[in-house]
Amino acid sequence: MEFQIKRLLSQILIFFSANLGALGLKTGFCYPFFYCNSCPAATSACPLRAIEQSVYKNSFYWRLLLFPILILGFFGVTSGRAICGWACPIGLLQRGTGKIARKFKKYPSIKKLGQHQIERYLRYIKYFILIGLVIISSFLIGFIFTDICPIGVLTGTIPTLILYPGKFVPGYYFLAAIIIFILFLILIFTIERGWCRYFCPIGAILAPFNKISMLHISIASKEKFDKECLHCNACSNVCPMGIDVINMNRDPECILCGKCINICPKNLIKYER
Amino acid sequence: MKKMLAIQISALIIVSGSLGGILIFTDVYEDVHSGIVSVLCLSCLKLEPITQTDFTFETAYSDPHPLFVLENLTNGVIFLHYSEDACLGCDIMYPIIQDLFNITFGKEDMVNEIVNFEGFDIVFYYTNIDHSSDKMKKSFSIYDKNHISGLPMFAIITLGYDNGIIRPYYTTLYGTLGLDNDKDRSTFLIELMQESIDIYNQNKEGYSPN
Repeated sequence: MEFQIKRLLSQILIFFSANLGALGLKTGFCYPFFYCNSCPAATSACPLRAIEQSVYKNSFYWRLLLFPILILGFFGVTSGRAICGWACPIGLLQRGTGKIARKFKKYPSIKKLGQHQIERYLRYIKYFILIGLVIISSFLIGFIFTDICPIGVLTGTIPTLILYPGKFVPGYYFLAAIIIFILFLILIFTIERGWCRYFCPIGAILAPFNKISMLHISIASKEKFDKECLHCNACSNVCPMGIDVINMNRDPECILCGKCINICPKNLIKYER
Repeated sequence: MKKMLAIQISALIIVSGSLGGILIFTDVYEDVHSGIVSVLCLSCLKLEPITQTDFTFETAYSDPHPLFVLENLTNGVIFLHYSEDACLGCDIMYPIIQDLFNITFGKEDMVNEIVNFEGFDIVFYYTNIDHSSDKMKKSFSIYDKNHISGLPMFAIITLGYDNGIIRPYYTTLYGTLGLDNDKDRSTFLIELMQESIDIYNQNKEGYSPN
């Protein structure tokens, strides 16, 4: 449990670090997680915004495309999607809403959906969002994802409206963005880590790195596992990403939160470098 | 096991080396800093700054007016147009400004021309923040009247009477001017330009750039 408190502290600390712009610290880096550069306190740029800008309307600035991908790649190679579990402020938010989502999980219809075969295909939506909405539409049409991004509403629009009342009016895509933001709220309150599982384009960039990351979660050797595992399924039940932990092998969805490690009564699951 | 370790180390060397190289040998850090982090993305924000057309003598952060503005005010009203490469609002406003002053220019150009507006000379500056000089970048913050730091931004600088002295007198407009269509935006700008020229003509005789 102490371990999960450390993770919570890490998330809180990084949330404050991401907002040091309030003290005047503005850098030229991209966040390695999802946070909006239009947040009044932002210190860095949203990696998706940089990617969109690099291919905006038939243009191609390779440096601006590579820069966020390399930053994410660095964290991806070293720790896979641990950024999602240990650093991302939207992950912190979903950690908060997760308890409510777990209650919804008991409803038969939600439980049925969670166990339905289609669920694992829904996880590919984030890759389509990354390629279709962030890259292709930006290249062909212009900013689409940015205009309707729910994280932008949460971390940019709402704080700006609160901090600067009477200074701004809704833009062209405001209504569409608010509707999507409401759907985002419904999602994260009904499905634990629903945004990370199905829609986060940054998760889509980081996910493949789980296959080669230096830090990962591993299950005990087959011999030990067969001998000691109680098949209580506690690890899969506690997993916020809905992974079948026992059968996973460097699963792209794993956010290395370590909940399965904490709950395993036989200590068969561990972090490995 | 050894194969995986080799892959991990190779990937780490490639990623770290490329990241270090891109930071050391290119301007990408500065591009992100000045082009994304320091400039407010109105698309990300889904909001438009409220356009207030009131003129003022005070610059945004009480900085002095730039020399190129003080000198050019002897030639006529100054129109400053700020933009950036990737910006939806900027794309909407390009054709309106081009029609207004009957001028053509590329998105990445830096333009400084004396243009004609209803028979009067207007000193027109177009600045793409992503490709401009430090002088023009500085002027962007000087005329950011409402401290928005968002693009597109337009500053109209005329001359006003201030306690016995004729001084630069300006207003700043942001985004797509808070209007729904090109016709309204164009009409709005024409009326504001006419007002600026009237004020200029009333005060130009007493103006000295020094």
